[in-house]
Amino acid sequence: MPVRHEPWTAARMVERVGRRVVGAIEEIGHCGVLLGESVFWLVAGRRLRQPVRLAATFTQMMEIGVQALPIVAMMAATIGVMLAIQGIHTLKIFGAESQVVIGISLSVTREFAPLITGILVAGRSGSALAARLGTMQINQEVDALKVMGINPVRFLVVPALVAMVIMLPCLTIFADLIGLLAAGFYVRFDLGISMAAYVDQTIDFLSVDDVMHGLSKSAIFSILIAVIGVVNGVGVQGGAEGVGRVTTRAVVLSISAIVITDMLFAFVVTRA
Amino acid sequence: MQHEVTERSGAFVVALHGDVDLDTSPSARKILLECVGKRRPVLADLSGVTYIDSSGVASLVESLQSARKGGSTFALAAVSEAAMRVLQLARLDKVFTIYGSVDDGLARDG
Amino acid sequence: MSNAAFPAVAIAAPPPRVVIEVRDLVTHYGPREILHGISMDVLQGEIMVIMGGSGSGKSTLLRHLMALERQTSGTMRILGEDIDDLSLIEMTNLRRKLGVAFQGGALFSSMTVGENIMLPLMEHTDLDRQTMEIMARMKLEVVNLSGFENLMPSELSGGMIKRAAMARAIVTDPRILFCDEPSAGLDPVVASSLDDLILLMRDAMRMTVVVVTHELESVFKIADRVTVLDKGNILFIGTVAELRAHPSERIQNLLHRRPEDDTIDPDEYLRRLTGEDSLESTRP
Repeated sequence: MPVRHEPWTAARMVERVGRRVVGAIEEIGHCGVLLGESVFWLVAGRRLRQPVRLAATFTQMMEIGVQALPIVAMMAATIGVMLAIQGIHTLKIFGAESQVVIGISLSVTREFAPLITGILVAGRSGSALAARLGTMQINQEVDALKVMGINPVRFLVVPALVAMVIMLPCLTIFADLIGLLAAGFYVRFDLGISMAAYVDQTIDFLSVDDVMHGLSKSAIFSILIAVIGVVNGVGVQGGAEGVGRVTTRAVVLSISAIVITDMLFAFVVTRA
Repeated sequence: MQHEVTERSGAFVVALHGDVDLDTSPSARKILLECVGKRRPVLADLSGVTYIDSSGVASLVESLQSARKGGSTFALAAVSEAAMRVLQLARLDKVFTIYGSVDDGLARDG
Repeated sequence: MSNAAFPAVAIAAPPPRVVIEVRDLVTHYGPREILHGISMDVLQGEIMVIMGGSGSGKSTLLRHLMALERQTSGTMRILGEDIDDLSLIEMTNLRRKLGVAFQGGALFSSMTVGENIMLPLMEHTDLDRQTMEIMARMKLEVVNLSGFENLMPSELSGGMIKRAAMARAIVTDPRILFCDEPSAGLDPVVASSLDDLILLMRDAMRMTVVVVTHELESVFKIADRVTVLDKGNILFIGTVAELRAHPSERIQNLLHRRPEDDTIDPDEYLRRLTGEDSLESTRP
């Protein structure tokens, strides 16, 4: 077929942008439908003789949660120390270093623990989910489930989604603890505030609200990670290279979604 | 599928009627294993079986194995042509003791 | 026995039942129409082979025959049921009577061979675990893979994967078995053993088998009837004998693997090679 070269007109560019936007809306639509279907199977599966598999859910929980503990611990500790260092450095300007404990406890529980844990799980488990589903899709394993009358959403997606929604908030609580602890060690080291005093101050100032703020975000992040991972995975085109592509895309999109949601959440909750 | 258990000459004759398939074979399995568990010779009368699939055959296999382990006997009688085909495909025609009729089976087993 | 009122009549065999009935099936992939109004029947107990070049739509047709896709228009009746009318539970029940062996096997890599084979039973029946295991082993025996139940799919060779896939496809004793390119990628000996398995399914298990393949040796060995597709239309349906004797040039080309008519126009070809053609916006 002879190749056509058209001039790069503004109209062409607008068309491309338009197409991208429509594509993105379509994809968000797919995500919504998937989420709806997942909830459907969670609720109605048993009655339709297709219950959600508990064993698979449990395996996923181990994979997503328990196996991530070491790396979450490491990141949380690092972030905790970093916040302490930066906090003290900044507050020194006002001579208010001792107030750093308040700053640390709020930043860790409300922002950093959920955000960093979310990004970590997106990179680790979101990519694994997209890769697994993408590979299954190219191998016709998803088709095989369908012809056997096994609904792929309730068989594959719901266990991963439920595991994610349960484990991510748990990991966030863990990150909260480790982060606050590590920050406490640094504060003790730099400012000489004893651990006991640090813990007292933290418990005094921190409210359940702050922790819940962080955990609610975690729950939302977990849904984003799972759904984006699945939608990208099954949308794979073309072989092993395609799997690599959708995996990368899933990670990038879920991290972006997490960060944007984080900002929106903060805006809505603090202004409401 | 219905079943009927009668005692004749010291053995249990389990007569199965109807289709023994994925939905009905669990109840066939249950009654066969119950009878085998009583440690007396068991004869499965398949003359009334209109259709038997692999799950039905698997139940028969389990019963045979259970009987062997318990030291008693388990045999089949009046196997239809269709059921025989399923057994032959799984090479089980050489494994089961198969009698032409219930009377034959009872005579041999005693 | 006969008398004047009831003369002795030779009892003819009952006509074969139609297990799959397709009428005016039209289907699209995005905006493109792939199948342009296909009508065909698959008869009880036969091996129906679907052939065609790439792009003919044969894989798409197979997907529709196994109710994996929704058509744009037309009707599909499988075992007497119109699949558009079925509820979720009715559809699931119908699926128990269908078995599919996919081209690459499509075994689940996180389960053993045995667990793969038992999966349809675990999901759709209340059978005891022991019963299911015996059934899985029975099927492995049929496909000559005895003893392989505890291996993982990654430990199997290509031919073994296909046989394991077939064992999974037949575990519920389905009425209809679908095979997508059963001999693809296999050496002739192994391919032939798979053909033998398909024949066994028809003869010993009384299954109706629908096979998509492009291996002519297989076609001649196993087919009762053949459907030839070309660019989304049916070119031919009939027996192998009728196929071989068919006068149509397209069909003979297909059978003898002759390429399509490719006479060259020297001028046009030369222009194409030297790139002079690429500036034109319409094809000559």
